Amino acid sequence: MSTFLYLIRRVLQALAVILIVTVATFCLLHALPGGPARGILGPQATVQQIAQFNHEQSLDRPLPVQYVAYLGRLLHGDLGTSYTLNEPVSQLIQERLPKTLVLTLLSAVVGLLLAIPLGMWQAVRRNKPVDYVITTLSFVAYSTPVYFLGLMLVLVFSHVLPWFPAQAPQGDTLAQVFADPAGLVLPVVAGAASVVAVFSRYMRGATLENLSEDYVRTARAGGSRRGAILRRHVFRNSLTPVVAMLGYYVPVLFGGALVVEQLFNYPGMGLLFWTAAQSSDYPVLLGCVLVISVATVVGTLAADVVQRFIDPRVKEGHA
Amino acid sequence: MSAAVQSGRPAGGTGPSAGAGTGGPGISGLRLAVRRFSRNRLAVIGLAVVVLFFLFCFAGPLVWSTDQTHTALTHANLGPSGAHWLGTDAVGHDELGRLMYGGKVSLVVGLAAGVLATVIGTLWGAAAGYAGGWIDAVMMRVVDAGIAIPALFILLVISAIATPGVWGLILILGLVSWLVPSRLVRAETLTLKNRDYVHTLRAIGGTHTRAIGRHILPNSVSTVVVAATFQVADAILLVAYVSYLGLGLQPPKTDWGGMLSAGLSATYSGRWWLIVPPGLAVILVVCAFNAIGDGLRDAFDVRGRG
Amino acid sequence: MTATDTTAAATAGTEPVLRLEDLGVTFSSETGDVPAVRGVSLHVRPGETLALVGESGSGKSTVALASIGLLPDNARASGRALLGSTDLVTDVVTASERDLAALRGRAVSMVFQEPATALDPLTRIGAQIAEVVRNHRQIPAKEAGVLAVDLLRRVGIPDPERRARAFPFELSGGQRQRVVIAMAIANDPELLIADEPTTALDVTVQAEILDLLRRLAVESGTGVLLVTHNMGVVADFADRVAVMLQGRIVETGPVEDVLLRPEHEYTRRLLAAVPRLAVAGSPAVPGASDAAARPGAGSGEEAGQASGQASGQESGEGSGAVAAEVPRPRYGTRARSANPARDSGTDGERVVDLRDVSVVYGRRTGAVRALDGVSLHVRPGETVGLVGESGSGKSTAARVALGLIRPTAGTVTLFGSDLRRTRARARRSLRAGIGVVLQDPVASLDARMTVQECVAEPLRVHRRGMSAKDRQEHVAELLERVRLPRAYAQRAPRELSGGQRQRVSLARALALAPRLLVADEPTSALDVSVQEAVLEVISELQEELGFACLFVSHDLAVVQHFAERVVVMRAGRIEEQGGTMDTLLHPGTDYTRRLLAAVPVPDPVRQRQRRTARQAAAAGTGPAAGTAAGTGATA
Repeated sequence: MSTFLYLIRRVLQALAVILIVTVATFCLLHALPGGPARGILGPQATVQQIAQFNHEQSLDRPLPVQYVAYLGRLLHGDLGTSYTLNEPVSQLIQERLPKTLVLTLLSAVVGLLLAIPLGMWQAVRRNKPVDYVITTLSFVAYSTPVYFLGLMLVLVFSHVLPWFPAQAPQGDTLAQVFADPAGLVLPVVAGAASVVAVFSRYMRGATLENLSEDYVRTARAGGSRRGAILRRHVFRNSLTPVVAMLGYYVPVLFGGALVVEQLFNYPGMGLLFWTAAQSSDYPVLLGCVLVISVATVVGTLAADVVQRFIDPRVKEGHA
Repeated sequence: MSAAVQSGRPAGGTGPSAGAGTGGPGISGLRLAVRRFSRNRLAVIGLAVVVLFFLFCFAGPLVWSTDQTHTALTHANLGPSGAHWLGTDAVGHDELGRLMYGGKVSLVVGLAAGVLATVIGTLWGAAAGYAGGWIDAVMMRVVDAGIAIPALFILLVISAIATPGVWGLILILGLVSWLVPSRLVRAETLTLKNRDYVHTLRAIGGTHTRAIGRHILPNSVSTVVVAATFQVADAILLVAYVSYLGLGLQPPKTDWGGMLSAGLSATYSGRWWLIVPPGLAVILVVCAFNAIGDGLRDAFDVRGRG
Repeated sequence: MTATDTTAAATAGTEPVLRLEDLGVTFSSETGDVPAVRGVSLHVRPGETLALVGESGSGKSTVALASIGLLPDNARASGRALLGSTDLVTDVVTASERDLAALRGRAVSMVFQEPATALDPLTRIGAQIAEVVRNHRQIPAKEAGVLAVDLLRRVGIPDPERRARAFPFELSGGQRQRVVIAMAIANDPELLIADEPTTALDVTVQAEILDLLRRLAVESGTGVLLVTHNMGVVADFADRVAVMLQGRIVETGPVEDVLLRPEHEYTRRLLAAVPRLAVAGSPAVPGASDAAARPGAGSGEEAGQASGQASGQESGEGSGAVAAEVPRPRYGTRARSANPARDSGTDGERVVDLRDVSVVYGRRTGAVRALDGVSLHVRPGETVGLVGESGSGKSTAARVALGLIRPTAGTVTLFGSDLRRTRARARRSLRAGIGVVLQDPVASLDARMTVQECVAEPLRVHRRGMSAKDRQEHVAELLERVRLPRAYAQRAPRELSGGQRQRVSLARALALAPRLLVADEPTSALDVSVQEAVLEVISELQEELGFACLFVSHDLAVVQHFAERVVVMRAGRIEEQGGTMDTLLHPGTDYTRRLLAAVPVPDPVRQRQRRTARQAAAAGTGPAAGTAAGTGATA
């Protein structure tokens, strides 16, 4: 399969996935107590208002017809209106999404920069004390609920040792966020912990697997030193599966952002979502779910394409 | 948040070990697997930790009898003492007793939800992998879509709609976390259905039922067991998030996550006994299940990848 | 030992480049320590090729890895392995990893068995070769790149400037092996270790790679330690031979002595088990074509001069004098010959019949034709050999016959019923008449089942009413039929050897007394002595039970001895088919001729002649025209 065909196929798959997600959000909307009318008009709406709305919005028509209409609205960027903030959901998300992307990206990058060398180090020192210590630490980091970890970080590095602020940078623009780098430290560390845990384990496994590959033996037979083999060959070969893994990890990153943003009061999508959940602001909730899912699908797609770019071998798409 | 929720698992394994047989543990292979597992120090420690926690939560109340249903405001917020080893909480429950009581819920819900997720995932993945073709494609796109919606977001949406009990919790957690095991089992099924013994069976006229029932499912047992172990670890972690997200059980019922969330407000007042014990309990048990899963994966020589 | 001394005298004055003294290697495993090599002593001199032969588990590869210091971490070596002749002699056993790295790729280098995995998939091949150059020479990367292109040219990669920028996956298996060889010779090593360098390759590619290695060794005076299980390769390439058995060397000597006048009993047994390709005479030998028309007559001449000394050494079966040039039934006692009378007697009746079958994967531009208009059939009781190189479609054809692959076009008729027109239930009961044995002894049996359960599976599918006791008895009988003890029924497959597992597969295949046995490379994963035993069992049972057999193999010699008719496939098409005698003694197409010419025979004298003939043919007016001209008279 040529790269071009692969891309087309992969994009079509992604579109199919997004379509299924819209079906899911559509179903959720209809599963809400009081149905979509209640969901859109808000809890104060009267029975008459709801009946009227149902008729105006063709909500008394068959579900498939409604679904097509729903899709049509989505395509026009219409995600509904928040009934607590009284603003179009799309506009709210537009303001908040970049901040969440910055937070998750920073967490991912910081996490990977630590995880990859750690994992390789473990593989080289397999079953030595270093390996056991890092393995144990990564288990602990993986097993600690983010809110607990975040709180401990605040306790230690903000209260006991006044190094960093306990609150993330506030402000509406990205520039304002970047103006306060110290405020980003604790949220990013909290978000990066599980990235380090998962990806150091993964890198360790991938490196071990590659170290036992035939090509390592060939390189050794040609007189290459162990360090050089790790640098030139094993590193890159181990990285390809890690990149693919990163694609699956995107939703986990967003999930982490949800908690971190709430904990550090960082005004991103996560916090928006959290607040909406407290006030049962359904249009915001469903809009966020949809956008986050699309972002996830795009992230996974990007990871696949990057992997394809790194690895020249022709690969079958997983279908 | 929990990498738990949806990630594929890193292949933290040791890679193929010398002389490892293929096709999962056979009759004498089980003995080999046990030996390999028992040589993995972390896994053995993990197993011990799990056993101890089960004893603590289920046998502990027989020794350390406390009242976990009625509030005792006169005894609220006491520090650790001879009468209350771990102090009392804001409504006067003995914290050590509560740790046992909450642990029961966390362990049972975690185990049940983890197993439920694995069962759903196994059936779905095996069906998709064996059917192949467009059925497989459609089924896997559904899984992709499920994975694309972060579980915590779904849980938070649900919390805005309903407040479930223990059974509801198990059901919800099972339904949001079957996706990863379904992928693993599908991959395993794809490999197994192309094994020569399955080809041979098909060639002489054996049925699909027989191929699946006699060959594919039995041979995926080790993969499924490993996946289930990790799934339980993730489910226990997810249970710890549930109260935090507002889906928690109503007092006086509680679980470790509920205790932890309730104790968070006490962080700055110095009442460490309200958060450190449940926090440590969650971390220890989840670590332990992860270590066991790791050990099992190496022992069975299973590749666990997302 | 005297033989070795003579060789030593002949090359006196040159010190060995490798001297193993009392080498021992022990592996520590989960089940305890396993000695793999015990007290091995040998030497390799410059310009000389020493072949280390033996069956699987003999320790030959371990010796090779120990000689270059690449033993796995769980191995311990003892004794001495002295490397280097002139400046500096290093003992590999005790040397530090640092010193070894300085030696590897310069003084000693290695070519491995599996070209598919031997190269880093993500690094361009030119860069991988340049890396080896720069490991030992302080030169700029650019210069090393130029050297890499030169090396690619030397190993016969066409358009080396462009190919240097290719990734390994863009190259064929043979080309990849050439790249590995280019890496190995990059710094003109004194010793080249080749561990089964052609085992993973097709026979025609094998011949080319062996030619290349021979040329390079001669050009540079490199000593070669060749590890192989293939006696034909030994005969083609080696000067001296060391035979290994269970970690020890049991016999050493010049190649003519060991292959033609083996002294040790094990060597004799090993050689007797090797199926030998009978040829009507080298196609390019003038005059051969005439005689070839009468099987046995003209070729006897050649046999007389070349293999005369071999007769009497062959102790295989009583009558199995391999020297005779006419193929004989090698396995079993039934006289297998292309018997036209028998064919005509049952004409029309066909056990399985593929008509104009095509199998196409993918669509449009990406479509791959795995089979293209293939027609073949098997008649009751006969054995049809399906031969070809990898990618020829032979396995696909067998799987179509088994109903595992649905043909894109054409019809498949099984026991007289068109598979497309039969209902699922009827189709299933038709299939009760098929027995299957596939290649991989490990994957063929479900590791979770006992032997009893494996063998009984067809009974459970088609004889539902059978009682457990009857089933048990039936399985026990089947095991005895394939010469396995009844008690094996309770064993797990993993407790059995490869040959025993294949017999269990055979027992399972015979459980329903099939009319057709489809065997896809049933012995290619086995050692020759085990292969012989398995083929004998199949043959005897066929005689007894009278089933037909579709036998897929890449090994022309095996097919020649085993099948009455042969179908030669190439790139999804049938190249030619006919009686085994006719087709493999007097091939009608150049492809078959080339295929036959490329098979190395385990007789160094004859192999040298065959090689010269093959090379002459190839060097003529192009390979096709050359061979065609040589045998034009027969056609």
